[in-house]
Amino acid sequence: MALYEGIALIQEKQAVVLDLGTDYTKFGFTGEAAPRCIVRSEFWCPAERRYKRLHDYSSPQELYDNIVHMLHLLYFRHVLVNPKERRVVVVESLLTPTLFRETLAKVLFIHYEVSGALWVDSGRASALTLAAPVVLVVSIGARDAEVTAVVHGCPVLRALQSQPLGARAVSAELARLLDEDNGRALNLPDDVLDDIKVRACFVPGREAALQWAARGVPAEVREARRGADAVVSRRARALSAEPLFARDEELASLPDMVLQCIAQCPIDARRALAASVLVTGGGAALPGLRARLAQELRHLAKLPPYKERLQELQFKFHSAPAHENSVAWVGGALCGAACGTGAGPGSGSGAGGGAGAEGRGVSREAYVRTRRLRDWPCLLHNTPHKHPHWDML
Amino acid sequence: MAYLTQPDYVKYACSCGQIKPITSLYFCRHCLQIRCGFCICHEVDSHYCANCLENMPSSEARLKKNRCSSCFDCPSCFHTLSTRATLAQPRQTPEQGSGDSKVENKQAKKMYYLSCFNCRWTSRDVGIPDQPVASGGWPERVNPNATRINQLLDYYKAIAQQEKQEKLDRERKKFAIRGKYITLTDKTGLTGAMARNIAGLPSSESTMSAIANFVPSEASADVEELSEDFYTKELNLNQMTSMPQRLAAPEWQPSSVSRLYPIAKLLSVKRSQRCRACDHNLTKPEYNPGSIKFKIELLAFYHVPEVKIISYEPIKPGCTSALLLKLTNPTGHEMQVRLLQPEEVPDTEDRLEEPKSLEKSLEKSLNLEKDNLWYETVQRKADVTATCRVVTPDVTLTLAQRDDAAEYDDDATHDANDIILWRKSNKLALRLQVSCGAEVGAASAAEAALALQYRYRNTVPAAHEPRDHTLHATLLLQLGHVSG
Repeated sequence: MALYEGIALIQEKQAVVLDLGTDYTKFGFTGEAAPRCIVRSEFWCPAERRYKRLHDYSSPQELYDNIVHMLHLLYFRHVLVNPKERRVVVVESLLTPTLFRETLAKVLFIHYEVSGALWVDSGRASALTLAAPVVLVVSIGARDAEVTAVVHGCPVLRALQSQPLGARAVSAELARLLDEDNGRALNLPDDVLDDIKVRACFVPGREAALQWAARGVPAEVREARRGADAVVSRRARALSAEPLFARDEELASLPDMVLQCIAQCPIDARRALAASVLVTGGGAALPGLRARLAQELRHLAKLPPYKERLQELQFKFHSAPAHENSVAWVGGALCGAACGTGAGPGSGSGAGGGAGAEGRGVSREAYVRTRRLRDWPCLLHNTPHKHPHWDML
Repeated sequence: MAYLTQPDYVKYACSCGQIKPITSLYFCRHCLQIRCGFCICHEVDSHYCANCLENMPSSEARLKKNRCSSCFDCPSCFHTLSTRATLAQPRQTPEQGSGDSKVENKQAKKMYYLSCFNCRWTSRDVGIPDQPVASGGWPERVNPNATRINQLLDYYKAIAQQEKQEKLDRERKKFAIRGKYITLTDKTGLTGAMARNIAGLPSSESTMSAIANFVPSEASADVEELSEDFYTKELNLNQMTSMPQRLAAPEWQPSSVSRLYPIAKLLSVKRSQRCRACDHNLTKPEYNPGSIKFKIELLAFYHVPEVKIISYEPIKPGCTSALLLKLTNPTGHEMQVRLLQPEEVPDTEDRLEEPKSLEKSLEKSLNLEKDNLWYETVQRKADVTATCRVVTPDVTLTLAQRDDAAEYDDDATHDANDIILWRKSNKLALRLQVSCGAEVGAASAAEAALALQYRYRNTVPAAHEPRDHTLHATLLLQLGHVSG
């Protein structure tokens, strides 16, 4: 195996896989089982003398600079390779803003002179790690929770769901609960909240959560303390993830999103989707979250808005061969390794559900010629090749 | 003026439009332009371990995943781990008398373990057995998901292979002239198999079997419930790892402290920098990791006159205040300097007043074709709009060349006038006036822009006789805040 790898490396440089998340960036090589580094998406900005977040920008130019600095950090501090003449696989959400995509492409192709880049959407990439034909990907990121139905390697776009129910929502609720517990505004910084969330919080089962929300959390267990300044009660630990499951008139909770996504999918795929749910994203690493989501789904499916449309759904859950926060990255790494070059074979709709997205890989020459990326919301890319739209370019 | 810990009071405008202190700028002697980290091309030169200062060839570094084989970081506090030696006593059996124990003691073996001097974490805490050798030999862990990922990889590669094959077949069918008879070889696909055999490609059967034997992931209806411990047990924060501790090992991401393992130290790289316009090296480090010197070091600090602020009067709206500046000539040649307003600096295009020889223009056109792309996309106009104006006297100042021996001379030449405050070897202090507009609000940052025009003697290429060029540098002075 090592010998083959050596030959492959002589022939072509191993491509890198980039997942620029809102909070954490995953970066590593294709064909590997885990990213080389998972770092916060921020860099030291010498001009402003502070750590600057990648996604803090007010102008395209600032975004360009942010991406340049972030990639410099990733390439030369963590992965230690030359970006020049090396391919990149970019894993991104289907809902990434166009400005961000285009600027990233500009930085990669013009600034770092990569030889080719392949854009993979995170829903499909996550599905690739399972190789199951039909997968419902529930991805809980830093800011948004997204539900994508991937049917035979194709995301069902009209059923795509997204709500701001990511890790930030949990953090905000945790901060509120902690303020209540301590009787004053703590104004804890983000990393402290993250630390409390990671080390102390959990998601109780449905019955326990209902009970506790109604009658208060039993305090027979001593409260955990973080330092001397903040008391973290069991109530805060247990109920901080409740916003994800809180239902209101708009039916915008996490289980509602999943059910709505299934309901908007083609009728033939619904049962298969429910029987193959994958919960990913860094926010899904909270202990008990999957179990709670399963309970909520089974409960809600029997209630009015869904009872008529979705009957006798059997919810089944996958577990991906990677940690929750890097599932999409691993999918991108598989995709990059299987597709070979950007102009190479794109494997379409095998049973694995699209090992590669054909025609998505962009070579540097092609980019320099057209200066644009394929994008699904763009009308141009949804028209046939003979359409007069194309002549107007 | 640039300091390590204080704000940068004097900043220069790079040719790409970034504004940076002189210490983070480069000067390309071939394009005669100021460059900065943003507009040059960085390259990985060599890998080394920052702890043991051991060089590692890049192929080996790739195999070892950019990790040093002998140095480890503490998984708990990320400090470097130290190797500690202990004497392991061979276990005594009760039959042996006290006389024998001395012999046993002599045979005591030295055993080594890793320990962190910062947080007192040791490799014994997590049950890693002590090692008989001081360096290396620590058990390597494999990613639990690696086998599954490899299966997936084989499967997808097989699919890609098959698809490629199908595409080829389709195309061959399209163009093949159909004979009347189907030959035996066509029917059995024998030629195809033989061709594959000769080419050394995996036979189509193996790809078929990879696809056939692959088992996709199975979803299960029962999700593991939250363990009862969360409801009943007390939380021990000391047993739970923090986020940085988890992310330090992306393959494992342990959630409990008992699963922390030493992290092999990540290598560092030495980088060389290259000018995008002419592809010449701007810096090139020495190969030896212990050396902090450079083989090539074209820093702006050594080529562009440096400006420092000595002092200034508080800036008031609508008034002029005095400003004392110090100019330093870092080059080994005499330098004429004029002060200009930033608007007076000619554009980049007509700034290069090189004699046009044929080869030069040819080289230039080649370069242009190559690099226009980057510059036209990224280059920006430096934003040097400032609240204050430096009143620039129309004089040409001469700065003597840098002379390391001049330090020992006492006699500063006293040709002071109303502009020149004093002069000492290659340094010159100036007294200037700064005028601030009346409309500038109090407490806003007072900045003054200034441009330098200087004669620069170019000593490359060495074969030609040195030529003088007139170059420009625009800089931005930070003069505190406008006082009310």
